[in-house]
Amino acid sequence: MQNRTIETGVGLFLLAGLLALLLLALRVSGLTATTANDTYKLYAYFDNIAGLTVRAKVSMAGVTIGKVTAIDLDRESFTGKVTMEVQKGVNNLPIDSTASILTAGLLGEKYIGLSVGGDSKLLADGGVIHDTQSSLVLEDLIGKFLLNTVSKDAK
Amino acid sequence: MSADNAYAIELKGVSFKRGTRSIFNNVDIQIPRGKVTGIMGPSGSGKTTLLRLMGAQLRPSNGEVWVNGQNLPKLSRSDLFDARKQMGVLFQSGALFTDLDVFENVAFPLRVHTELPEEMIRDIVLLKLQAVGLRGAIELMPDELSGGMKRRVALARAIALDPQVLMYDEPFVGQDPIAMGVLVRLIRLLNDALGITSVVVSHDLAETASIADFLYVVGDGQVLGQGTPQDLMNSDNPRLRQFMTGDPDGPVPFHYPAPDFREDLLGKR
Amino acid sequence: MRRKSLLDRVAHLGQGAIETVTILGRSGLFLVHALLGRGGIGGGFQLLIKQLYSVGVLSLAIIVVSGIFIGMVLSLQGFSILAKYGSEQAVGQMVALTLLRELGPVVTALLFAGRAGSALTAEIGNMKSTEQLSSLEMIGVDPLKYIVAPRLWAGFISLPVLALIFNVVGIWGGSWVAIDWLGVYEGSFWANMQNSVSFTDDVANGVIKSIVFAFVVTWIAVFQGYDCEPTSEGISRATTKTVVYSSLAVLGLDFILTALMFGDF
Repeated sequence: MQNRTIETGVGLFLLAGLLALLLLALRVSGLTATTANDTYKLYAYFDNIAGLTVRAKVSMAGVTIGKVTAIDLDRESFTGKVTMEVQKGVNNLPIDSTASILTAGLLGEKYIGLSVGGDSKLLADGGVIHDTQSSLVLEDLIGKFLLNTVSKDAK
Repeated sequence: MSADNAYAIELKGVSFKRGTRSIFNNVDIQIPRGKVTGIMGPSGSGKTTLLRLMGAQLRPSNGEVWVNGQNLPKLSRSDLFDARKQMGVLFQSGALFTDLDVFENVAFPLRVHTELPEEMIRDIVLLKLQAVGLRGAIELMPDELSGGMKRRVALARAIALDPQVLMYDEPFVGQDPIAMGVLVRLIRLLNDALGITSVVVSHDLAETASIADFLYVVGDGQVLGQGTPQDLMNSDNPRLRQFMTGDPDGPVPFHYPAPDFREDLLGKR
Repeated sequence: MRRKSLLDRVAHLGQGAIETVTILGRSGLFLVHALLGRGGIGGGFQLLIKQLYSVGVLSLAIIVVSGIFIGMVLSLQGFSILAKYGSEQAVGQMVALTLLRELGPVVTALLFAGRAGSALTAEIGNMKSTEQLSSLEMIGVDPLKYIVAPRLWAGFISLPVLALIFNVVGIWGGSWVAIDWLGVYEGSFWANMQNSVSFTDDVANGVIKSIVFAFVVTWIAVFQGYDCEPTSEGISRATTKTVVYSSLAVLGLDFILTALMFGDF
């Protein structure tokens, strides 16, 4: 009877929902299939992590190679300890590589940019990046600018 | 233990409360087997409640409801389910399932209670519809039927499982004379041909009295009178008399309670 | 008209409060019986399919059309505001986040309450007033399992699916307006969106919201129908109640859920 149309209708409906979910997952949120096994941990200590959040990108040369998974306060050095998970494929980072907290675009989203050093020894799972550059805080920038202008005038 | 075989239905000491209001107080009713019994009374006297008590849709606050030898309130779920095979109910509006056609409506109880093969179900449905005169309407949907036809299909559905007891809830309300005649004839015919017990709840005195073998009149939460239609006509209970003769004023007053008329006119000016 | 004394009014208020609690309790028992009570007749799956069709599939039209329009308006409005800050390229993520986190689940739930919820209430209320529910009982079928439960499950499943579809067509509508009409670069539209939309935080939370809404809206709709006065006036009152209560519940729950999910400030 009309049973066939009803069943097909419902089937298509549910299929559309599933498709919508997939579309949202892949095209809208950019979900990629990296599991925990494909990454290794790196740590970095910053004087100021202001604005950096968990899940922020970790990139090198503009290419995303991982993400920030934890931000804690290191109680001994009173610096910010950032935990990053980097793709296993990128396992040839020298131990003197730099990690900087940079701003993406005008809306001010922070991310971590890595630049290579020159050492022959490489970072392994659990390694620490020592050369770090903290987040740029607007007040410090203004302060620097004013200081520069003042010293210029003073000359 | 089990009830006297002469009575298909027996209500013993039944009380029913809705909230704090007592609808029935310690009522005894016996419905004789194989006969048409009418239950009548003024509006709001709880006639439909009685029907629902007999059909185990409601539980009494007190007392026993014996139908076909079983005390309904005490039955387990599965026993009650089986007991329903022996009961058929025709509701006031027919109550056909609007999303099923006539065939499926009549076949419904068969599908719920039996595992008969399709051909048998079809035969039974055809038989039942033939009995009520609507075999030709078998493929129609309920909204394509007239009110009278709906009730007849509902009747066919009610007898689908050949129950021993048939209950009719206000079957004569709003029917034209022809439909009325059809229904009256069917009730009597089914009762005698199938040897079942029929209970008709109605406030239509003329029609009910014409087909009932036995009558109960209820009001004020109790039985006002019982007997053959003839007995009740000759009764000297004033409430009963008012009901049977249709006198506008009597124990049930014409005027709603109000302050003195004169004072009302002069005061409220 | 009799004028009510202050005491009468207070008594009335108290009575209303007690009645609300009673109704809440009744609806809770109703839900438990319908979903978890034992028994039920064969063909339950067939009934579910039928209800999924009438509740879900037939709501698609209004959901899709609304979704497209809302997505387009979001894009339009968002563009004009972001342009002031020179951030037009971020319109993609704005549309996506707004839809996924808030508008998708909430608007879909409100539309659902109006279209499918009121239809459910009216249908069940009608069955009650024409004594179809009583007939089912007399035949030995529990109307809570046969009529109510399939409709509950259909609502629980349909609303999240509809919300997902709403989001997708909304984002698509937004992208059409932004890219083809307002001149946003296609690459940056999608790239910015992908970078800022997180599956677990945004998409999944939105789905959770719509599941919660589905539960509440369907429950209210079905209960109002089942509990109404079996007259035509009672049915129309019940339908109004469904739409009003569902809408309030959705908006209130949305605030609570948003605070829980996105409010770690």
